[in-house]
Amino acid sequence: MTLLSILGVLSSAIFSGTSLLYTTLGEIIDQRSGIVNLGLEGVMLVSASAGFAVTAISGNPYLGMLVSVIAGGLMNLILGFLVVSRRANQLASGLALMFFGFGLSAWIGRPYVGAKIRGLPRLPLPGLSNLPVLYSSLFKFDLLIYLVIPVAILVWWLLFRTRWGLGLRAVGENADTAFASGRNPLLIRYQALFAGGLLAGLGAAHLSIAYTMNWTEYMTAGRGFIAVALVIFSKWNPIRAIVGALLFSGAVAFQLLLQSSGIQISPFLLDTIPYILTILVLIIWGGTRKHAAPASLGRVYQGTE
Amino acid sequence: MKTKSLYSIVAVVMTTVLLLTACGPAATPTEAPPEPTSPPTKAPTAEPTEPPEPTEPPAEVGPCLIIGALHGGPINDAGYNQAMHESVMAIKDNIPCVEIIEAENVPEEAGATSTMENMIQQGAGMIIATAFNHQYPALELSYKYPDVIFEHAGGWEMGANFANFFGEPPDAWYIMGVAAGLMTETNKLGFVAAFPLGWTLTFANAFHLGAASVNPDVETTVTFTFSWGDSAKEADATNSLINQGADVITMHVDSPTTIISTAESRGVYSIGFQSLHAQEFAPEYWISGTGYTLGGTLTWLASTVVDGTWQPIFLRCSLFDGCMAMAPFGPQVPQEVQDEVLAVSAEVEAGTIVVFAGPIVDQDGNIVVAEGEVLTDDLMSSVDWFVEGIIGSPK
Repeated sequence: MTLLSILGVLSSAIFSGTSLLYTTLGEIIDQRSGIVNLGLEGVMLVSASAGFAVTAISGNPYLGMLVSVIAGGLMNLILGFLVVSRRANQLASGLALMFFGFGLSAWIGRPYVGAKIRGLPRLPLPGLSNLPVLYSSLFKFDLLIYLVIPVAILVWWLLFRTRWGLGLRAVGENADTAFASGRNPLLIRYQALFAGGLLAGLGAAHLSIAYTMNWTEYMTAGRGFIAVALVIFSKWNPIRAIVGALLFSGAVAFQLLLQSSGIQISPFLLDTIPYILTILVLIIWGGTRKHAAPASLGRVYQGTE
Repeated sequence: MKTKSLYSIVAVVMTTVLLLTACGPAATPTEAPPEPTSPPTKAPTAEPTEPPEPTEPPAEVGPCLIIGALHGGPINDAGYNQAMHESVMAIKDNIPCVEIIEAENVPEEAGATSTMENMIQQGAGMIIATAFNHQYPALELSYKYPDVIFEHAGGWEMGANFANFFGEPPDAWYIMGVAAGLMTETNKLGFVAAFPLGWTLTFANAFHLGAASVNPDVETTVTFTFSWGDSAKEADATNSLINQGADVITMHVDSPTTIISTAESRGVYSIGFQSLHAQEFAPEYWISGTGYTLGGTLTWLASTVVDGTWQPIFLRCSLFDGCMAMAPFGPQVPQEVQDEVLAVSAEVEAGTIVVFAGPIVDQDGNIVVAEGEVLTDDLMSSVDWFVEGIIGSPK
């Protein structure tokens, strides 16, 4: 294992962790307001396909990114209508949204499979441009990567340092009390879902427009669910989510490195490392989660009448 | 208490999904090479070396033959499905009176059955199924509709009105290996593969044998993504190989676009497979690639259906019969390398080079093909070893 391959794991962790982190941040906002969104996988797919399609048509990756973000927001509003206005079961609605997303994204993306797009431009980290191209290309990041940590801090600030965030968390803890203190739980949950959808859209845009520059059906391959797991791992804290996303995507990159380093372990086993890690983390951290989870997570707010 | 029961549900759902994601392929393989249950019987005498130009059928009102073609994935994937789509469309170009009904993105067996029945209701007299897992649905229907001719790409079953056709990739892989072995400077080649299936391992073995034949110091590293279409993981795997020093990347996945554009962005050479369209994703660092060009073969098969002389043939045809083709060389490939690759190609065609001729030694030093023997086609499909010099675990 050379220096390059170790730096490479870091680089891959950053590249594929970015979309996970945006999506996780979105889910943290959803869940802080008391809504479990299991439809993230579908939300991401629709965002990724819509953004890719617009990038392919217009040739402008920023326009595609914008469309991805809006598509994510709109998809989450569908969930909002079901679970906030129609008071449906959150888990069932989320899964329904996911399957809807599978179909819709396949339909949107269908004409653009195999299309060649100009992805988000990659800008080298200052001071690294003199290195050989093999090294410097590892740390040539796109805009969305540079923005992901500031966005995580912004989400933290919004949730824990603003009145809006206080209201949102109050609704997630106890919607009736929040209502009694003058908040509108229905409106706040819609806002939370829309904001969460925008972030999931950013994550999806990074996946299809920036990193892989490709659309294939079901390209998220479970990342929407990993994001839900990372929310629990991060104890609903945006800053801790940074660690979670890097750890998971680092594990994926590391098992690929192990496969190619000549180690005689079945690749079938190595491929399960990141998922085993996720399950282990969920088990180990599970004991203390009740202190962190929003108290009325998953509960339908029946209103006050 | 209510929260607690919610957690139990979330936990069950999450565990199930995580396990499924970890163990299962993300997408249905649309092009998985066959694992024969019974050895295929080859009928070399009936193989067309050159598909004859079809005789112009008499101009009539209405189509002379309706062909129903179905594909497992999208026909514009710059990969396997696009190659198959273009091959089917070539029939129409060569025999204008033929009408083609095409269906794409039919991953499931049940969907394949109803799609084919629908095509037959519309009058299809010939069905061409190009996805690996459509073989048995097509075979079942061939009993039900004895008047319809069924052709499957890459299968092994045969019947009175059911046969199959395919290219022979190992020779092409060997020639691509020669190009890679000549172009590499680090003596490390990278191979991104979806699953450790028999044919995939055979392709990697042929590629490495070709590279080692011109460059004894070369090593080929194989990494599996366990999905036919997880682009992000393909990008990760490509980067991982490049970071280990590989300076030529090739692949066996459904659509090669992400892998090729990732290699291009890292300034690393790539070699394509499946469709010749892959080249447009690597304007600078493209070496070459091979793809399926079965248009001539399918035209010949369709013409025999039109004139009523169709026979069930287990049809395999190679790079040299026009069933596969080599993409043009990229701009960085020196003339000497091009000449040498073409010279090796001529030798393979002449039979002076036989790719899997013994002795062949696997990673552990066991002799897997003895001196004087040649690995047969049906053994190639069930290979579970890597040749000496490949890094990676085959099972």
